[in-house]
Amino acid sequence: MSLIDALPSPSFKRRPWHPNVVLLCLSGAMLAAAWLLSFVSVAPNRIVSGTAFGMVDAISWPGAALVSLLFIAMAALSSVPTSRHYRAMLGIIILILLLMPFGLMVAGHWLVDPSLPQARLGIGAAYWTVLFVLLLCLVELRLRLGLSRWWPTLLLAGVGIAWWGCAALWLDRLALVQEFQAREGQFYQAVGQHIALVGTAVGVSVVLGMLLAMLMRRYQRLQKIAFTLLNFLQTIPSLALFGLLLAPLAWLAANVPPLAALGVSGIGNAPALIALIAYSLLPMVRNTYIALEEVSAETLQAAKAMGMRTGQRFWQVRFPLALPVLLEGVRITAVQAIGLTAVAALIGAGGLGTFIFQGLGQAAMDMVLLGALPILILALIVDAGLGALADALRPGGQE
Amino acid sequence: MTRNSATVSLPNAPSIQWFLPLIWIALLAMCIVGMPLLEGLFRWVEPDARQVVYDRAAFYELLGRHVLVVSVAAVVTIAVGVAAGIAVTRERGRDFLPLVGQLASLGQTFPPVAVLALAVPVLGFGTLPIIVALMLYGLLPIVRNTLAGINDVDATIKEAAQAMGMTSWQVLRHVELPLAAPVILAGVRTSVTINIATAALGATVGASNLGDPIIAGIVNGNMAYVLQGALLIALLALSADSAFNVYQQRLRQRLSAS
Repeated sequence: MSLIDALPSPSFKRRPWHPNVVLLCLSGAMLAAAWLLSFVSVAPNRIVSGTAFGMVDAISWPGAALVSLLFIAMAALSSVPTSRHYRAMLGIIILILLLMPFGLMVAGHWLVDPSLPQARLGIGAAYWTVLFVLLLCLVELRLRLGLSRWWPTLLLAGVGIAWWGCAALWLDRLALVQEFQAREGQFYQAVGQHIALVGTAVGVSVVLGMLLAMLMRRYQRLQKIAFTLLNFLQTIPSLALFGLLLAPLAWLAANVPPLAALGVSGIGNAPALIALIAYSLLPMVRNTYIALEEVSAETLQAAKAMGMRTGQRFWQVRFPLALPVLLEGVRITAVQAIGLTAVAALIGAGGLGTFIFQGLGQAAMDMVLLGALPILILALIVDAGLGALADALRPGGQE
Repeated sequence: MTRNSATVSLPNAPSIQWFLPLIWIALLAMCIVGMPLLEGLFRWVEPDARQVVYDRAAFYELLGRHVLVVSVAAVVTIAVGVAAGIAVTRERGRDFLPLVGQLASLGQTFPPVAVLALAVPVLGFGTLPIIVALMLYGLLPIVRNTLAGINDVDATIKEAAQAMGMTSWQVLRHVELPLAAPVILAGVRTSVTINIATAALGATVGASNLGDPIIAGIVNGNMAYVLQGALLIALLALSADSAFNVYQQRLRQRLSAS
């Protein structure tokens, strides 16, 4: 290195331009998706697949111009990233989300023939893509602005309620809404069943998992056996485990009357719950065990030196410190259980999976959506909620 | 420590390592070929059924399609996951790092059944939707481990490599990737093992694979069919998992030996 290099060189260049490339790319992707992909589709009845329409056909030139303008504004704001611009972008995202049902209303008004009572409006690929990318934008903005997880969740909940209102009042041409109206009672029942199954399975596996993890800490030999067994359970496909439980439970119900009186039968809730708990145990036990082991020995020694008894040390030191990691286990377990419960519909356990498999059987894709979308939303809500709770409980407040 | 582990690996060590996976693969092959011979056993499970061995398609055909679906998904996932992991750890792509991390964990939140159901309207019935669902579901372990593996490479080692005159491509190729390889491989192992079990779901949307006997068994109330499907999938998963285990150990040995 020469002396010249070591000297501070006067900078003639202006500060380099640092746009937020991520948001710039995402805005561009949304703009492209809105113009290139199908905006909505219109079908004359339930089974026929619809004809696709582009954005200009669906919401005419002024609508398309407004949509493009909003995306371009987002791109412009992201090219000069300041905290104020990020907040403005948050506002634009909420605006776009709130405008989305209105786009569908306009499209329904233009494109659906009012003389056909069965005609229905399907949501096109552009809508789903933009929705997904907006979700990504929200994630990015949350990270940039350093917001806690509660804010986007609350905002999205508000948007969801607005959508629900629009759907109930004005969007009766939408295929999804028509499917929903045809089986409203069934839908609420299925949601209830789904949540009840997941809740029971997660609740039982939390208790069982903690007991097992504590036993493992006491008896080291148990640890290896239990982990081998639980790991092996995970390699059996969920579908097969549900199926394999049918026969023994049917036999039990036929031969042990008290169990049959309790509602145990080959088909329905009993095999579903057993399989769900079996799958939930591995993530639960693993996380509980790691959480309890990871608490630093020095902290525990300090507690001991302060004169705490064994029980006190566990409940007042080890357990609270382990709680965030433990909740992480509950989160993984719950999200996994929500997905698995959908499969349980195949053996008659009810829940939202019923709509998915019935819809697949009838080739009625809107009915499949009616089952799949709530499952997805449920999984996202549980994921965000438990994640936020774990953040809040972390020692020293939020991360 | 490095010297010791180098001397432990004797010339005939690899053949011993391959013992366990070979047993699982042999068992799998025996079950594929000899399933009709086990009829007596399945007859005992399901005495009243008209037929106890699944015969709507040959087992080797189902196994072949199962392996094909999982491998296509795995190849695409590994290519995309590792490329994304490398791209966001470079100087230029660092802006995308938080988003990609979040995106991968978001993918795991989407239940495979729901993804499968949502993919059917777009891609139709058959093999394609299950491949997409597997790709989305298997991406997280690979991306997460690639990020962890590359980020864990000691900064001083990278600096030393640069000081030796290596270009950034050479640093990636000869320093970062080899050092991160065991961690990345662990991610691939998790991803593939999970996907072998999840691929069975494809049978519900008309992709014919080892999930077929299970679905047929549930629909007809024939436990023997379910058992056959479950047995083969479990054996396949164990074969793949143990093979990855051997490969991982050899990789680790080579790293600590050199």
